[in-house]
Amino acid sequence: MVSCSHQWEMVNIRNGFLVVEGCAECGGRSSFFSTEAQPPVDDYHDGPHYWTYLGSSQAVKFDLACRACGTAVSLDDMVGLMLSTCVDPECEIARIAMESGHSSWVYVALCADSTHRSGKCVSEAGISALNEYFNQQMRAPGKRIVVVPCRLAQSLDTCRGIVIADTGLTDLY
Amino acid sequence: MRSSELARKADLKTLNEYQDRELDGVYISDMVSDIITGAKAGCLLVTLQTHKSLIAAANLVDVAAIVFARGKLPADDVVALASKAGIALFATEADTWSFASKLAELGMR
Repeated sequence: MVSCSHQWEMVNIRNGFLVVEGCAECGGRSSFFSTEAQPPVDDYHDGPHYWTYLGSSQAVKFDLACRACGTAVSLDDMVGLMLSTCVDPECEIARIAMESGHSSWVYVALCADSTHRSGKCVSEAGISALNEYFNQQMRAPGKRIVVVPCRLAQSLDTCRGIVIADTGLTDLY
Repeated sequence: MRSSELARKADLKTLNEYQDRELDGVYISDMVSDIITGAKAGCLLVTLQTHKSLIAAANLVDVAAIVFARGKLPADDVVALASKAGIALFATEADTWSFASKLAELGMR
């Protein structure tokens, strides 16, 4: 079997809302992607959790597929990307950023469960494809994108970064 | 056309020190979520958006330069982040349509 040097492209681009909820019982945060015309804002019970709407912003989801061999990678488990500005010495993401050098930019692929109590995060296949995709597009000499899963963060509540979302867009006018 | 040449020909206000890159295409958007799926590497981005997340998105997809239309000006920390990323920042008093027309006159596609 011949291996493919994947040539990734974005496919299945969906526009919607990134909805963030918080649980008053466990203090956890959760987020999900909604394609409804208005983001759902209702509070609800889910097992031991009582989820309360915290906010939402317009966002986009996409998958990646290889133009050459047709391999498709679902990024359904990713709800957003965040440029890391974390400098916490206890945080693995900050350590990766420091080791990657000043011309590398670390982006955190955010999954739906900031607590990671479910044990799930953005898949390794997704992280690998995202790294290849963004660096294949890159033309600026020396610049490199490093995408890491959010499970590496010491705590997403304290890990500093800039989330790519359309928060505050209506403040423009 | 390079960023510096565009700045001169379109009478743009330069907001930072930048890598003077060849511009390859134009993308117009005020949504950062749209920029990561629509803008191409090396392009010029025209926008009204001045939020820091704009730079996070533009850097991810390797935007070469950004023009803020209608006299919008980003905060100092936004300019600093763009400078670190090597992204050129310019401002124009023109509205987006007028500036897009100017780009077409200058041969930008």
